Amino acid sequence: MSCTRAWVLRWSQGAKVHLQKLRSPKTTLLPHVLTRLSSTFDSHSHQTIEQLEKDGSRIIQIVKKRIVEREELLSQIGDTVSSKEDIKRAKILRESENLQEAWTEWNKTRELLQETIPLLNDPDPVMRSLAADEYSSLATTFSEHISTVFPSLLTPVSPTANLSALMELKSGVGGSEASLFLTNLLRMYQRYAHTMRWKANIVASNENEGGGTKDAVIEFEGKGAYDALRWESGVHRVQRVPATEASGRVHTSTVAIVVLPLVEEKESEELFSMADVKVEVMRARGAGGQHVNKTESAVRLTHIPSGITVSMQDERSQHQNKRRAFQVLSARLMDAKLIRDVAARRDTRRNLVHGADRSEKIRTYNYPQDRVTDHRIGMSTTNLTSVMEGEGLQEFIEALQKHHHESIMENMLDGS
Amino acid sequence: MLPPSLIRRVAAQELKWLKNHAQNDAHILNDLVRRRVNGEPLQYILGTQPFGPLNLLVRPPVLIPRPETEHWAIHLSSLISPTPKRPLSLLDLGTGSGCIPLLLCRVWPKGSLRAHGIDISPDAVRLASDNALRCGTPTPTDPEAHDANTFKPVLASYLTSAFLDVIEPPFDIITSNPPYIPLHEYQTLPDSVKNFEDRGALFGGRDGLDFYRAIARLVSQKGVLSDDGLVVLEVGHDQADAVSRILVDTGNAFKIDIWLDPWGKRRTVVARKETKSIF
Repeated sequence: MSCTRAWVLRWSQGAKVHLQKLRSPKTTLLPHVLTRLSSTFDSHSHQTIEQLEKDGSRIIQIVKKRIVEREELLSQIGDTVSSKEDIKRAKILRESENLQEAWTEWNKTRELLQETIPLLNDPDPVMRSLAADEYSSLATTFSEHISTVFPSLLTPVSPTANLSALMELKSGVGGSEASLFLTNLLRMYQRYAHTMRWKANIVASNENEGGGTKDAVIEFEGKGAYDALRWESGVHRVQRVPATEASGRVHTSTVAIVVLPLVEEKESEELFSMADVKVEVMRARGAGGQHVNKTESAVRLTHIPSGITVSMQDERSQHQNKRRAFQVLSARLMDAKLIRDVAARRDTRRNLVHGADRSEKIRTYNYPQDRVTDHRIGMSTTNLTSVMEGEGLQEFIEALQKHHHESIMENMLDGS
Repeated sequence: MLPPSLIRRVAAQELKWLKNHAQNDAHILNDLVRRRVNGEPLQYILGTQPFGPLNLLVRPPVLIPRPETEHWAIHLSSLISPTPKRPLSLLDLGTGSGCIPLLLCRVWPKGSLRAHGIDISPDAVRLASDNALRCGTPTPTDPEAHDANTFKPVLASYLTSAFLDVIEPPFDIITSNPPYIPLHEYQTLPDSVKNFEDRGALFGGRDGLDFYRAIARLVSQKGVLSDDGLVVLEVGHDQADAVSRILVDTGNAFKIDIWLDPWGKRRTVVARKETKSIF
């Protein structure tokens, strides 16, 4: 009897260690697991493991396949890594080390779960309750491996993980109110950038005569900026009573956002050839030179093959405007290339988020209801202020990133 | 005449820069706008002007660097790539804010350029020195000068050759944006140019070519321009041919090139001294 209790306690400690190792600290107990645990601890519990395995069977299969491949590689590799193939194998092995570890841990958890099941029916009530605690924490580890740990380890590294981002905002329907909201959004993204330790730099902006900002371009410098902010592309809708509205009627206005990947100058050479870019200065200047000291620095680029034009006038020197314009041109061409790549891999099929259609309404900011809703993932929060302060935005972006990873996983499962 | 929409766009853009400069202080902004309305150049009000990768100080009455000058200076910097092994010697005539030599000092490899600039205006020499300090470009006698590009502005006229006692020739490159506005055009200059910028930096004599003749005399002197030396001169909107002729008439074997500015004007006359053929 006492011997059995000692067993359970040891497992319990073991489970704690397991939990700490988990990548996501937030553990959500599956409701159906809990219900089953609280009712009876007999055959139903056993079904739970099976049910979980059945639900996650496809992902488990993929992991299993990878582990088998890994073992084959391990047997092929020589004692001393010398040949070119060996180096390649060693690299693949190194990359799959974490997956192997997670797999081992998951199998151990599975074993422990099996061993706990008989104890759930122990005559001693204390023992039963200990076993129930143990079982539920093990079940959490078990299911989280399937839902989170394995998918994150199987997801390929994003090719754009290191890129900074360029965000273009344009006020849409709603006149001045849209421009005022654009100013609010700019602030939100600047604050979000601050918490992410990215450098936010307004590259261009046009004020609206009736207040607010008509359009703006903002640069976010930092690792991961593009991968996080790319989900912000689309139409953002605001519903509120404008400060200028005497009757107190709620208006609906929109701001359209496009987020582009920023490429290093040397990489941009691969995106276009200088011969294809027409550089124009925007105005006639009379005699020019010493005769004129007006600031005339506006520049327009036209990329002839794609028809993309970029105008830049915010800097006081033509040279700077030209540099900026080339940066934007590279970003737009890179964006077009990424869309082409994705289309070529045809993995957007299940992805609701990364649609190329940027005219789609993606999010609503409803002030009277203090609510923000993302229409792509059906997520809502009732703390609008927190979103506008940048904090709440993070939750949306994380959810969108998670959604993206899941859709990559689903494509992987479909392809297997 | 510009369409009103363009004028409004430019005004909005200027207002934004002024607002930025006033840091949202309404009183300061009011004052800045008043100065601008009175015709004072934006650059003097803001106190700086970007020039290529540099952000230079500008102060009345020293000539404000123009985009045409920025354009050809950047082009020149990309055409030649000197090395510290064989550093180039450069002389800028009428250096003003020092924009041309300071840009080259910034862009070219460390220790590959020794530049001098002369100007008859003490205001210009002071401003060029301040800009050199701002850009971190030392003079040749500074302790940090040994492996850096150097620039020294000197108060002197290039109408006589007395300055050659102070600055030692020969020069591999002579650059200049000399005063080139002829009398009849000087009358019709916009107020923001005529009333605020140094007449001495703008007015080029009756036909606007006085200083090109002086420069041609200077570069013809034996030992001033090195073999294969380069003369790069900014010219007025319709002066490229006249200036080319002045250079050719010196009897030197010059190979002449003319560069266009971003607006399509023939803006820069480039003369390379050709070494005498053996045949």
